[in-house]
Amino acid sequence: MFRFVMRRLMWALPMTLIITFVVYVALRVGTDPLASYLRVNQRASEKKIQQYIETNGLYEGFGGYVRGYLQWLQGFVTFDWPRSIKGSREVWPEFRDAMFNTLRLGLTATFLGILIGLSFGIFVALKPGGLRDATVSTSSFVAISTPPYVSALLLQLLFAVYWSKWFGQSLLPTSGVYPPGHRGFDLVLMIKHMILPVTVVVIQVVAVYARYMRASLLEVLNSEYMRTARSKGISERRVLVRHALRNALIPIVTVAAIDIGAILGGLIITERIFSYPGLGDFFLGAYDNGDFPQMMPWMFFFTLVVIAFNLLADVLYAVLDPRIRLG
Amino acid sequence: MSKKTSKVLAFATGVALILAACGGDDGDSGSEASTPASEAPATEAPAADCGPDVLEGGAGGAEGDAAMKITFDISPDAVWQDGCPITVADFQCSVNATLNTPGSISTTGYDKIISIEAGESSKQVVVTFNAVYAPYKLLFGGLIQASAVADCNDISGDFASLNQVSGREWMMESFSPDQLVYVPNPNYWGDAPTVERVVAVPFADFDTQSAALLAGEVDFIYPQFFAGISDALSDANVTSKIDFGGDYEGFYLQADPARGGPFSDPIFREAFAKSIDRDAVFEQIYIPLSEGKGKLLNCGPIVPGQYCDEAFADQFDPEGAVALLEANGWTKNGEGYWAKDGNAPTIRWIINTGNTRRENTQAFLIPLLQAAGFNVVADNCDAACYFQQRLPALDYDMAMYISTAPPDPAYLVSSFTCAQIPSEANSQQGQNSTGWCNEEASALLEKSDVTVDEAERAQLVKDALKLMAGDYVMLPLFQFPKSGFWRTDRLAGPVDAELNNYRAFNNFSKWEDVDGDGQIVLGAEQWPECLNPVTECANSSWMVWLTAFPILPNVWDTTNDGKLVITNLVTKEPVVEIL
Repeated sequence: MFRFVMRRLMWALPMTLIITFVVYVALRVGTDPLASYLRVNQRASEKKIQQYIETNGLYEGFGGYVRGYLQWLQGFVTFDWPRSIKGSREVWPEFRDAMFNTLRLGLTATFLGILIGLSFGIFVALKPGGLRDATVSTSSFVAISTPPYVSALLLQLLFAVYWSKWFGQSLLPTSGVYPPGHRGFDLVLMIKHMILPVTVVVIQVVAVYARYMRASLLEVLNSEYMRTARSKGISERRVLVRHALRNALIPIVTVAAIDIGAILGGLIITERIFSYPGLGDFFLGAYDNGDFPQMMPWMFFFTLVVIAFNLLADVLYAVLDPRIRLG
Repeated sequence: MSKKTSKVLAFATGVALILAACGGDDGDSGSEASTPASEAPATEAPAADCGPDVLEGGAGGAEGDAAMKITFDISPDAVWQDGCPITVADFQCSVNATLNTPGSISTTGYDKIISIEAGESSKQVVVTFNAVYAPYKLLFGGLIQASAVADCNDISGDFASLNQVSGREWMMESFSPDQLVYVPNPNYWGDAPTVERVVAVPFADFDTQSAALLAGEVDFIYPQFFAGISDALSDANVTSKIDFGGDYEGFYLQADPARGGPFSDPIFREAFAKSIDRDAVFEQIYIPLSEGKGKLLNCGPIVPGQYCDEAFADQFDPEGAVALLEANGWTKNGEGYWAKDGNAPTIRWIINTGNTRRENTQAFLIPLLQAAGFNVVADNCDAACYFQQRLPALDYDMAMYISTAPPDPAYLVSSFTCAQIPSEANSQQGQNSTGWCNEEASALLEKSDVTVDEAERAQLVKDALKLMAGDYVMLPLFQFPKSGFWRTDRLAGPVDAELNNYRAFNNFSKWEDVDGDGQIVLGAEQWPECLNPVTECANSSWMVWLTAFPILPNVWDTTNDGKLVITNLVTKEPVVEIL
């Protein structure tokens, strides 16, 4: 197993470098960082422009791209990040805060969503075709079909606006990580502010994973080896937990690990509606300005997230199905 | 619980706690590792080194003979947040920063200053101009503390994350992309604010900020007015004030020949403008909005008053437009669009996405203009892209936006004269984003800048606006209402007193905190991306409302009824001498 993980890790490193180089080139070509800088800083002096080019390694030609990428990478890993093109702000502090906010929101929502979704999937797969199967399947369909901005606005109206009208004060906050002006760390307040945005994401995730789990478990339950296990006289509970669930989880674990990266990257709408200062908002601001020094860390981070969770998927898959390790 | 499960749970708990404790906590200003905001140390005692009272190199530098002199007597009590006295050095530094900082947004007026010197003491400032400058009251609108910057001739690198300078009621405690916190300036020499803190938070759109107000998460919002806004914010605890101030909305046509757009051809521009039925737009868009209170604006880029003579009335003339185009070699092509030499220009009309009124205007007008033979297409982007990039870059053919006009018409010089078109010649420093250049109009406007007599000055402005109307570069639409909404269970005092003011809601130091939470929370529709008050960071109303006006001392304040009055920075009305 150790060798398997190490082999995968060894692959991840060059893959990260190749992908981030491709992303770097794509950003350079697609957004033209110098043109963006000049658009945002129309009165910039020649000296400032030259300074921007050198700080960001915006050299021309293939050799220039490689040199620029290596310069960027060196600055990135040593936290010597170039400043934003608008207002010359430090990028790392804003990125760090946005990253932790997004990770907190995204991972919580993913964990809860998958857990609840799998539970629903198991619940209905054990008695397919009945009322509860129909209820969960229909609800899943409705939830998947409801865009996050609709559920977000409905939740805001219900738990904040109307609740405030009915009972004098809102039940749950509609925006931010903390109430405006809050000082210091407060876990309870933080959780309170996460409830609505997390719920919006969870609704989608639950719906998807309930359907995955239902289908996967039904397939396993109807397989030959399940019949063999039962015929051996193993208890139904043991058959379900040791044989059915383990096998049903294999494809889902793979999908889930890969999905986490997509969920984290897809929080943009939820973060915007809830004025939640995460990486979604960070990216939108950076993209609007064509802010190369802000966009590159964002791209790099999500490249890393996707590669890391793919790696995790490989490892979990190997844990659940030892045959993979031999491949 | 198995050993393996315990390990997994312990690991997950650890990760959760790290994530919870790390990173952005919405602009928190007091936490240690978790704060995203830049923070200011509390400074009450006078600083040890306040720098010189008069700068060695002086300020200004315009050439020519002295034509006007203004003497300011700074209040002996006037000090910065660190206790250092406000002196002639700060006036000198502010002028040098405005004139010489790369990327300075406007040097208008300051470029006429020959020198700034101390009078009888360092608390008396004598400013000498090389020409009479009529709108002198717009100068010195935000002083910069000389000792707070390393080089007064280039402050482009200053205030990147926090502006700690203050000579007004408030001090910036923290600023982040998520939150701005003000606390009272302990060394302010005027009336102290009535609340402990003012917090501003951003909202991406009206829906989110209205939800926050109705849910009681913010105390006050200042949204852009639209039809039905009162209904949308209807609540027993929410009240509002809607009135007409210095805001006006209009269409702008990009006329700069250097950009080579379709409207750089004056014939095509005139025909296009004559094809726009402003009365129909007003009926369709603005009558429902104004609830019968407003009327079509015919003044040009200015609101009704002494500078308006309705020069832009009755411009709609579709038959005249057709005749004009045909007489100049334009014919309709196979698609029904006007073309010349086989070229049918595409007209890119920009608005900010998400602005329902402007989107409705496009939806209403584009088919009509296309039917009239003009290939108009929507070319929209969000507010930041529109106002901070495309507009300053003159990257549009037709635009629609609201301007917030100060009480003095001097802004017409910076916005509509030839010398103010951004170009290599003026180091891209101009603010004439229509690219319109009419030498005669420019001369009139520039003359108005050096004419102190009110009646004569008004006539010069009117004459210039007549020429603008004849060039069809701008089509005024509506004197736009301003609206403020606030929670009566949280706020009291003169909340509605200054909402028409150019400085907007900046009297919040007088507001009362009814709910006793010790703070006033403002919801902001747009968020400043940076704080530098001299560079183009300052090219936004919300930027100056939120991050410049509350802290930077100034000689003259605007009032709610459009006047300019001295502040307590000076002891008396400055003495103006025409030499």
